[in-house]
Formats: sequence, structure tokens, C-alpha cells
Amino acid sequence: MAQNEVLLRVEGLSVAYGHINALKNVSLEVHRGEIVVLIGANGAGKTTLLETSLGINTPNSGDITFKNKSISGVPADRNVRAGLCLVPEGRGVFASMSVLDNLLLGAHHNMKNVGKNLKRVYQWFPRLEERKNQVSRTLSGGERQMLAIARALMSAPELIMVDEPSLGLAPIIVNDIFEILVHLNQEGYTILLSEQNAYKSLKCAHRGYVLETGKVTLSGTAGELLNDPGVREAYIGA
Amino acid sequence: MSLATYYFLTITAVYILMSWGLYLPYRVAHLHFLTVANMLISGYLSGYMVQTLEVPFAVALLAGFAAGGIIGYIVSLFIGDAPTFTVVIVGFTFIYISRTAVENIKAVGATMGMFGLPAVSGSPVMHRWTILILLYVLVVVVGFLIYRFEHSRLGRAASAVFVDKDLATSMGVDIKRLGRLLQTFSSLVAGGCGVIYGFIYRSFHLDFFTFHLVGIFMTVIFVGGYATMWGTVLAAPALYGLSLILPPAVASWRIVIYGTILIAVLVLKPEGFITRRLAYKLETALSRRRRR
Amino acid sequence: MQTFIAQVINGLSLGSIYVLLATGFNLLLLVAMIIHFAYPQVVVFSMYIAWVVLRYTGNSIVLAVLAAILSSVLLNLISAPLFQQVMKNREEVDINTTMVLSLGIGMIITDVLSHGFNKGLPIAFPSKLIGETPILRVGLISLQGGQVASLAVGVLAVSGIFLLLYKTRPGRAFRAIAEDPNGARLVGIPLLRTGFESYALSGVLGGLIAVLLAMLLGYSSPGLGEQVAHKVLAVSIIAGLGNLVGGLVVGLALGILEALVQGYISGSWSNAIAFVVMLLVMLFKPRGLFGIKL
Repeated sequence: MAQNEVLLRVEGLSVAYGHINALKNVSLEVHRGEIVVLIGANGAGKTTLLETSLGINTPNSGDITFKNKSISGVPADRNVRAGLCLVPEGRGVFASMSVLDNLLLGAHHNMKNVGKNLKRVYQWFPRLEERKNQVSRTLSGGERQMLAIARALMSAPELIMVDEPSLGLAPIIVNDIFEILVHLNQEGYTILLSEQNAYKSLKCAHRGYVLETGKVTLSGTAGELLNDPGVREAYIGA
Repeated sequence: MSLATYYFLTITAVYILMSWGLYLPYRVAHLHFLTVANMLISGYLSGYMVQTLEVPFAVALLAGFAAGGIIGYIVSLFIGDAPTFTVVIVGFTFIYISRTAVENIKAVGATMGMFGLPAVSGSPVMHRWTILILLYVLVVVVGFLIYRFEHSRLGRAASAVFVDKDLATSMGVDIKRLGRLLQTFSSLVAGGCGVIYGFIYRSFHLDFFTFHLVGIFMTVIFVGGYATMWGTVLAAPALYGLSLILPPAVASWRIVIYGTILIAVLVLKPEGFITRRLAYKLETALSRRRRR
Repeated sequence: MQTFIAQVINGLSLGSIYVLLATGFNLLLLVAMIIHFAYPQVVVFSMYIAWVVLRYTGNSIVLAVLAAILSSVLLNLISAPLFQQVMKNREEVDINTTMVLSLGIGMIITDVLSHGFNKGLPIAFPSKLIGETPILRVGLISLQGGQVASLAVGVLAVSGIFLLLYKTRPGRAFRAIAEDPNGARLVGIPLLRTGFESYALSGVLGGLIAVLLAMLLGYSSPGLGEQVAHKVLAVSIIAGLGNLVGGLVVGLALGILEALVQGYISGSWSNAIAFVVMLLVMLFKPRGLFGIKL
């Protein structure tokens, strides 16, 4: 893998909620064009890491750099406009709003190219176009995950962070979702995703990090992690 | 005792009692404005009983308490565990309806009000002393009851409800019963207050029981500190005294002044002046000195 | 029959004002996440401002409307940082404190009106505003220009609001925050700034309502704010807090009901109707007829 530019760099990040240390001195980097996976169990700190990188929380210490500019303490809406976005855990679509409205919300900071982006998103996800006026609550779990990803695409991001895309989805649908992520990556989107499902996610990723109770315990290429006995035992069950 | 002193002491006592009446249900996040309606209803009821039915004052006073308690209890059956917003609206509604009712009922003086009620005991001087003593006995009794409540299991449960209703329920607190109890008690006290309030002036008039009272009592508990009962004891005389000290031209704007103080406190010192921590420190300091 | 029709028309005019007030209130509730008890008092204050402007500019309606809108927008924008500060004081959004804050604001406004304008007496709007001669007369039914205007503007304003909410970018942001503030943040919607926008929007609405009320009622008084405030809150409770469509239905229905009661039963009972219905609804359907949408 050629040494591409570092799109997102997190250094020494520590985040605490009251007395609970959610992240302790976490460092990672995501290079342009990569798919990087964050593996960890429930409560390991994956969501905190992604949300803090987006700018939802302010870290207690550490630095976050996006496209070589520091974004520590920068609010989320500015980062979204700069090309960073998050597909939240549990789909995070607005259930009472239509598919189209959800997509338009994704383009909230990028209305200039909304027509173009809408067309592209419909090409990726024809099922969403079919249901564009339907209230999102009526979509299936897989469709909602697609909507969440499509909505992220509407902001024309450079780096898409995806929080546990496979959560609560049937295995066949999970395969579909990962296929979509791989295709998106081939189109040029950089992807950072967090997962409990280590096997499937490592299979499509370039590199990965293992997060345990707020600390990075292992990192390496996807192949290295897949073959690591500790990882296999804890997260793959092979 | 001068008339000015008389009014200051008596009105302050009423303010303290009514503000406590608002403070108690607010322990479970209920702004129980029904108490002002209780004042009005029981007040007019007692006035009518004493003036027209020639019932002795003591009986009328008891009737006032009873009316307050009964109304408070019945209403609490519906809003014992309602959200704060609902409790506020119900309170306002009852104030509105009772005011409209009194406006239209000739027997209680309609818009003119009731005047020249008989003195409670013998001479006007005796009357004033009786009212004064009555009020402060009430203050001590109610204060004692509230103090015991706060330091009881039920009182601690109430604090839990204020912070987190769902958590409190999962710990076994019966919110509806607690809410009912606090609301009923407050309404009972308010009923008696309404009776005595009128007898301070020996008259009843709609102008005594306006929405302004809501604002005043609310200001007292939030400025004093809504987390403990002592804040009210300090804030009531302070705020009432303030309106007496001010020059008359400014004093007519006292509601604006109270409102401004309320807003300032909410923004700058949200827990009020006597915060929970301060009260705790004072209480432990006092009890330590007592033990020595 | 003619009384009936006349009262229904009256009721629709009054009802559309209730709807607008409920919508402004719900907007603040859903987007700014505050309970603004004193919103109707802000409206009444703007009525007074309009009245002052009318007196000093020889009844220039345009200037009065602008002044009313400006005054309520300003009042809202000034109170916005107070509300936002109060919400920050506790860790979670504490909506009860916003309620108390708004009660404080209401106290101040009402008392300022009682002391600072016309010695606290009710103010009357020039009859030209309402229309001195009815523009339509069919038997008992006579429509004043003011009534028609208030109904027409009311309908337009309500449609405008709904259009804004459902078909525009800022409207989408409002609805997103209304449904899920955290989700909205994740999509990059600035919560504080959008909250501010809702203060401004409900301010504009408030100014409009002030003018409409002036046209419909022809008078204003310090107590009007409290009266109207209770009715509007009743509408919100009956419909279900935060329920915009429910507010539409209930507001209109209440207006018509009140007008009918006023037309057929003498006395000031029409005011009590709202409260009786509200109490009944609270007993049997505490979440409102159409459900709470918070």
C-alpha cells in the first residue's frame, strides 16, 4: 500500500465522562483511500472515538487532525462541511421524515450540488429512489442502513466514519452493506468503520485497530489482525 | 405595635407559609400554583361564613384548612404524578376559574369584595395580636413538619424524584402517592393562609388573590433556594421588606423588580442563595455545636 | 342559521389566531427546546407597540405592522441567551427552569404594560383598523374588513409556516432538531444557531399575531396576555404538546366553539369553555388528543 496522505490523525486522545474514562491515550491514523476498521466489544469506546473525532465531544487531552488541519474542539457542523462525516450507530435516520427529506438533510451544508449528488445516490441505491417519499420509519433495517450511508454521501465527504453498520442486521444484509462500503472505497471514499463483527469487516479492510476498554491494544494490516491468535479468539471465535 | 410592623410581620409570615407551600411540591418538580386558588377559595368561604352565617372564626378557619385540603386532595388524584407543565396549567386554570366565579357571585361581594369583617377577638388590638400569634404558631408548626419530612425516608425519596423520576421509580418510590401527599398538604396550608390573609385586613378582595402572588411566591423560593426550606425563611422577609423600603414611585414597579431578580437568579445563581450544600454545612455546623 | 354562520366565521378568525400562537409556542418548544409561557405576553406587548406607532404616525398600518414584528423579534432574541444560559446550568436540558424563566419574563411584561402604557387602562385600536363599515352584509351576518383580513392573513400565515417546515432547508433543520437533537448534531446541524433562528421566526409570527389580534378584537389590555396565554396553552395540551397538526385542528375547533358559545349563551362563559375542555382532556387523555410529539 503506497504511503498516501494521512486524512485523519488522532493522537493521544483521552475522553472522560465524569469519572468514566472512555478513551485513554488513543492514537490512530487513516490514510486517504483506505478502509480502516476499529474492532472492539461493546463499551470499548468505539462510538466515543468516532463522535469525538467528528466534534460532538471535546476531548480532555490529545489532538485530532483532519487534512493536516487541527480540528480539536471544532464543532461538528464545521467538520461536516470540511468533508468528515459519521453514519451513526443504530442507523440514526429521522424516522418521522421521508427518505428524501433525510437525504436533503445530509446535503444541508452542500445544497449547491444537491441535484447531482441525489442522482448519484439514487444510482447507488435504487431502492431508496423507489421509496423516496416514504416515511423512513417504514423502511427495513437494511434499507435504513443504506439510507444512513446515502445521507452521509450527500455531504460529498472525503472521509466517512461508520459506527457498527452490521448491528441488528441479518447476515445477508450485512454482506450487502459491506459490499457497498467496498465499492464506495473503490470510488475514492476513505472509510473508517467500527465493528464488533471482526471477520467480515477485516475481510474488506486495509488496516485495523483493536480497542479494549478505551485503549488501543493492537494495530496492523487487516491480514495481520485476521491471523492474530488473540484477535481470532476474542473477536472471531475461530 | 405599630400598624406598619403588624403588616410587615403578618404578611411576611403569610409569604413564608405560601412559599413553603410552593416549595414542598417542587421537591418533586411540581409547581403547585393551585395553592393560590386555595387561598382564594378558602378565604372567601371563611369570610362568608363569618360575616353572613355568623360562624365563629375558629370554625371558619378550620373550614378553610379543610376546604384547602379537600380540593388539593381531589385535584392531586389527577395530577399527582403529572409533568410539571400540567401541574402549572391546572393551577392557573383553577385560579382563573375561581376568580371568575367570585366575580360573578353576589353573595361573596363579586367585584366589590367583603369588608368590615368582625374582629377575631375583642378589640382591634387583640385581633391583631391574635392573628400575629396564630400566624407564627403556624409557621413554627409547618416549618417543623417540613423539617421532619425532609429528614425522613420520604423526604429523601422526594429529592431522588426531583433529580431523576425514572430512577426514583425503579428504586420503589411511589411518585403518585408522594405527589398527592405534598400537594394535599400544601393546599391545606394554603387554605388556612387564605383565611388568615383576609383577616389581617378584615376584608376580602379579588385584588388580594391575583396572578401576581404566583410570581411573588415563585420568586421567593427560587431566590431563596429551592433545594432547602431555609431559603424561603430568608427570602420572604427580604423580598417583602425590599418593596417596603423602596420609595413609593419605585415600589409600584415591584413586580418588575421581583421578575428581574428572579431572572437574574435563574441565570447567575440557579440554585438560589441558600444552596443545598450551604444548608447542609450550616445544619451540620449547628448540630455539632449542639452536641458539644 | 345566520347567527350560526356568523359565529362560525368569527370562530375561524379567532381560531386561526389560536393556531398561530400554538404554532409559535410549539416551534420554541421543539426547536429551541424551551417552554415559553410568556410568548402570548410578548405578542400583547407588540400590540401595544403597534398602538403607540399608530398614534404617532397618524395610523400608518404598514409602520405599525413592521413595529410589531420588530418588537417581538427583538424581545425573543434578547431572551434567547437567557434561556440558553438557563438550559446550560444543569447538565441535561432542564425544561422546567425555562418555564420558570418565561413566567418571570411574563411577570415583567404584564407589569410594564400595567404601569407604563395608558396608565394600565385597556387601549383601543382605531376603528379604521377593524373596518368601520362591514364589507359584506347578509342578514345577520356582517363581515368587518378586520375579520376578513385576520382570517385571510391567518390562513396564509399558517400555510406559510407549514410550507416552511416541510419544504425548505431551514424547516428541515427545525424538524430534525424537533425529532432528535443529537441526531441533528451528527448531521452537522448547529443546534444553538438553529435554536436562535426559531426564536426569530416565532418572533416574526408573534408580530403578525399582534396585528391580527388588534384587527379582530379592536382593543388590548395588560390582562389580555394572561388570558390568551392560558387559552393557547390549553390548545397545546388538548392537542398534545409539540403536535403542530393537532394544534391546527384544536385551535380552529376551539375558536369556533368559543364563538358559538358566545353567540348563544350570554355571559363570559366562552372563556371558561377552553379550560373545561382542557381539564377533561387532561383527565382522560393526558397525552392530548393527538399525542405528544416531543
